[in-house]
Amino acid sequence: MRRIRLAKACVVLIVAISCAYAGARALPSHASDDRMIADGTPGHAGGRLVIALRSEPKTLNPALALDEPSRDVIRCLTADLIHINRESLKTEPALAKSWSVSRDGRQYTLQLRRGLRFSDGEPFNADDVIFSFQIYLDEKVDSSQRDLLIVGGKPITVVKVNDFAVRFELAQPYAAAERLFDSIAILPRHLLESGYRDGTFSRAWSLSMPPSQFAGLGPFRLKEYIAGQRVVLERNPYYWKADRAGNQLPYLNEIVFLFVPSEDAQVIRFQSGDTDVLSRFSADNFAVLQKQQATKGYHLDDLGAGLEYNFLFFNMNDLAAQGPPEIAKKQVWFQDLRFRQAVSAAIDRAGIVRLVYNGRATPLWDQVTPGNKLWLDEKIAHPARSLEQARQLLESAGFSWKSDGALVDPHGNSVEFSILTSSSNAQRTKIATIVQDDLSQLGMTVQVVPLEFHALVDRLTNTYNYEAAVMGLVSGDADPTSEMNVWLSSGETHLWHPRQEKPATAWESEMDRLMQQQLVTLDYAKRKNLYDRVQEIVAEDLPIICLVSPNILVGAANRVGNFRPAILVPYALWNIEQLYVQ
Amino acid sequence: MRYLARRIVHSTLLLFAVSIFSFAILQLAPGDFFTPIRLNPQISAHTVAALRSQYGLDKPLPIRYEHWLRSVWRGDFGTSFAYGTPVAPLLAVRARNTLLLTGTSLLLAWLLAIPFGIWSAARRGKWSDRAGGILTSSLLTVPDLVLFLALLLVAVRTGWFPTGGMMSAGFEDLGVAGKVKNLAIHLFLPALGLVLATLPPLVRHVRSAMIEVLEAPFVRAARAHGIPERRVLLCYALPVAANPLITLFGYSIAAMLSASLLVEMVLSWPGVGPLLVDAILAKDVYVVVGAVMLSSVFLVAGNLVADALLFATDPRIRMD
Repeated sequence: MRRIRLAKACVVLIVAISCAYAGARALPSHASDDRMIADGTPGHAGGRLVIALRSEPKTLNPALALDEPSRDVIRCLTADLIHINRESLKTEPALAKSWSVSRDGRQYTLQLRRGLRFSDGEPFNADDVIFSFQIYLDEKVDSSQRDLLIVGGKPITVVKVNDFAVRFELAQPYAAAERLFDSIAILPRHLLESGYRDGTFSRAWSLSMPPSQFAGLGPFRLKEYIAGQRVVLERNPYYWKADRAGNQLPYLNEIVFLFVPSEDAQVIRFQSGDTDVLSRFSADNFAVLQKQQATKGYHLDDLGAGLEYNFLFFNMNDLAAQGPPEIAKKQVWFQDLRFRQAVSAAIDRAGIVRLVYNGRATPLWDQVTPGNKLWLDEKIAHPARSLEQARQLLESAGFSWKSDGALVDPHGNSVEFSILTSSSNAQRTKIATIVQDDLSQLGMTVQVVPLEFHALVDRLTNTYNYEAAVMGLVSGDADPTSEMNVWLSSGETHLWHPRQEKPATAWESEMDRLMQQQLVTLDYAKRKNLYDRVQEIVAEDLPIICLVSPNILVGAANRVGNFRPAILVPYALWNIEQLYVQ
Repeated sequence: MRYLARRIVHSTLLLFAVSIFSFAILQLAPGDFFTPIRLNPQISAHTVAALRSQYGLDKPLPIRYEHWLRSVWRGDFGTSFAYGTPVAPLLAVRARNTLLLTGTSLLLAWLLAIPFGIWSAARRGKWSDRAGGILTSSLLTVPDLVLFLALLLVAVRTGWFPTGGMMSAGFEDLGVAGKVKNLAIHLFLPALGLVLATLPPLVRHVRSAMIEVLEAPFVRAARAHGIPERRVLLCYALPVAANPLITLFGYSIAAMLSASLLVEMVLSWPGVGPLLVDAILAKDVYVVVGAVMLSSVFLVAGNLVADALLFATDPRIRMD
């Protein structure tokens, strides 16, 4: 018995040594030109970074993850072919070291880096890329990435050119084609193919599986998961990036993601030094943390406006057929441009910035925030609040005032409506309350109704049982292609009147044309002109009355080096392979 | 024996009723788990519909309930929409943490409540009894949330205790003694919160049950026989007073479970609480139903144990 055990131990030892040897050998092969050099300042190797997540990641399967905590962890474990640099907001090479586009803009040939290995030591090649896209495009998998990969109504096709080159073919030229690759994590075929063939892919890479069954091309790999408490990642020794001094990245030995269920608790944990990096917190908490910035060994950054835009909009759905008649009656006001202009003129955007966000937000007059420098239309006017102008507009539309100051429409009905907001978003409820007060100065009677989020979305997108709402959308990318569904009249998130069969108004039809055109135009300057016009339509025809964009607020312990937060998710962790601790 | 069988049948029916009610009530609210995804401009309505049908959300309520019952039979308790895995293992790990916290607190609360109650019953009307009365009633009036927040404040201000979690980041590297110490220091504040929240009513009940018995003629007779006071209290009065306290034990489990939900959220204890709140907000229905069922099972089982104990200690119940 003992002899067998000894023999087993020897085998284990030999395997371990040969693995270590293989690992050691893998590194010199990186020394070829295919290793990517990162641009940050060289740091020290070692150490551990602790970060809090609002809730547990639900899965580590990139094709199935829908929630932000899961995606935050997956981003550390995986890599994509072409990456959007969070600082420049432009694309840069990742697993693909270079690419070429055919003259008609429909074929992209990507050259893959050679000699790369997954975090379990297995080599990476074009078959993994083909396999990954097969999964994302499979209708049975229901991956959220599939919709991104449908261009011109047809799924993208992928062809293997050789072991280290793949060609993507699109049904039509697509302006943001390179940016598509950013959210597509490349999966290891050797680990997932059998499960995919058996039809058990939907259960693959759930958190209850042992770490040995995971592997990715990201800077870290899974070390352990303790349900309800934390996920620990360890350094991926096979990672394909190095710093300018030639040191293998990442620097950190470990990342610990703690699950801390509320924003306030996260702030407390950060304040007491339990966690090293903090993002996604409110201006109120920023003010609290700021007081102790000097003494507690951390620093805070206000990065200015992010990509979120908050807005007020009215129900402009076609309710004649089935909608509640009392809302249909009020739609006569909502559809009158002068009414919307008067509301926009009466809202004190600066007041919202001051009262709701302690000044840590940016007022908005269209959907592109100042943070999105590539697409911002500088020509959009920023008129100051003017009750006088609002009154004139209402008068010209036939509204009048009773002796007690209440506004009535041309038929003598007093102007009363309700604004829905999400009860779980304190800022939006406050915005609605300020709007309520601003509009009361025009003689409008407005009720603010905070609703549970699911109930709210159900009313906005399903039953259309609402009059007005304050909502916010966060662009997934700086590029306008990520907003197609918002601005196309047939779109699902064309919130004020979704899923139109044909555009209801002339300006919606123009917007449809502009959005479709920018999608297939490859020249940036031409696209910019087209999208500028979309922004002008939003500012002039006011389908949504844009109000404010909260600033991106982040904090980090002073000992964290190379901390360069950005306005695109994952705000503080996008360069995690370069973060180090001093 | 027939008494116990009857109680078990009652409890099972009760659990069925709880499951049907929680299932039905959760469906009444508009929207489902996949509703918020509709606001994501990058995901099409087709994908949302496919996800809903994959998880059976397009089927009518009775059929979903039947599916759920089958999965209970298999030991899965349904599939979580968010995690894509069976609910039972998700709950099991967190229930263990919740049990560690509530079990410790329950034990501590009773170990403190019984001597403290007897002590103040024996000193009835004296200033020490009154001071104890003022202390317990003022604790009783402090809302649990305020109490837990005050404890959190203590942790933040002093830095003596961790502000949340169950283990420190380097837990694996510690030795056995270090691990126990690390766990204990994390357990201290949440357990203290729970003890303070549940202790006052227990003390009051122990005291009044003892006082009632101490006035009985047999106690006076015992004293007249010259039996020492300590022996009278512990060996004669306490067993007689135990009856209402055993019933109270069942109820204290309920109080403990509801308070633990709150303390787990405030002091980030990785129990069922945060999972349940997360699931309620996301409308991850089967996780919510699973957690509700788990609490109900604890509650029903606690009462069943209390009933069984009463059956064993009180001959009057056996006579029925």
